[in-house]
Amino acid sequence: MKINTRNAAGCHVVEIEGSADINASTALREALLGGIESGATKIICDLGRTTFICSDALGVLITAYLKARGRGGFVRLADPQEHLRDVLKTTRLDHLFEIFTDVKCAAAKP
Amino acid sequence: MPSHSPETGLGPGWTEKVLPTRLECIRDPEREVVSRLRDLGYDEDHRFAVRLALEEALVNAMKHGNRMDPARRVVLAYRLSPERVEIRVRDEGAGFDPGVVPDPTRDENLQRPCGRGIMLMRSYMDEVSFVCSGQEVQMVKHRKP
Repeated sequence: MKINTRNAAGCHVVEIEGSADINASTALREALLGGIESGATKIICDLGRTTFICSDALGVLITAYLKARGRGGFVRLADPQEHLRDVLKTTRLDHLFEIFTDVKCAAAKP
Repeated sequence: MPSHSPETGLGPGWTEKVLPTRLECIRDPEREVVSRLRDLGYDEDHRFAVRLALEEALVNAMKHGNRMDPARRVVLAYRLSPERVEIRVRDEGAGFDPGVVPDPTRDENLQRPCGRGIMLMRSYMDEVSFVCSGQEVQMVKHRKP
């Protein structure tokens, strides 16, 4: 897994490229929670190139969501592909997270 | 070559691997299973489903079963055919009652960061059962056209 970060319309974008499996969770945790600790509260996870996600990585997304929300911000998901969309639906996490078709749409919502 | 797997006693056709309780040791058997499924002609949906269920089973065995004790092992056995995938994962922990695991899809549990592994296994495989007081999970996925 490779993590790329950038800014988009005032949001901190974390792109997760490849497989978000158990052995990638630590890096994902550092990228997301580290970003929040550094002051970012508007987080967008770009899942357009995420090929796999395990329950541990989902847990990292939830922890980041709770922390960001506690600071008045958000964690939004952008562009999940078919398999990830299915995992989010199966776990009903599509009821917890706001999911957008792309980063631009996620950043545009107030 | 022995006709039965030494740890599980399973017959011919089964591949058995004994893994140390280290999360990085999940990667290679996972890749091997997915690669063999590709060779057998399973499509991407099947490969994703089996990989996810296998990862959840192995992580559960190491984290919750063996409690990351490096002295304990996880035994993985699998039999792959063009018709079905059979996987067994056994740990050396105290076992558990899968019936008392909270449903992570209930509204009140959605914000919990953990507890989705068993549900994902059940969702992505066709048959999932726990034996030996929860020390072993047995999973089957049938090939669908």
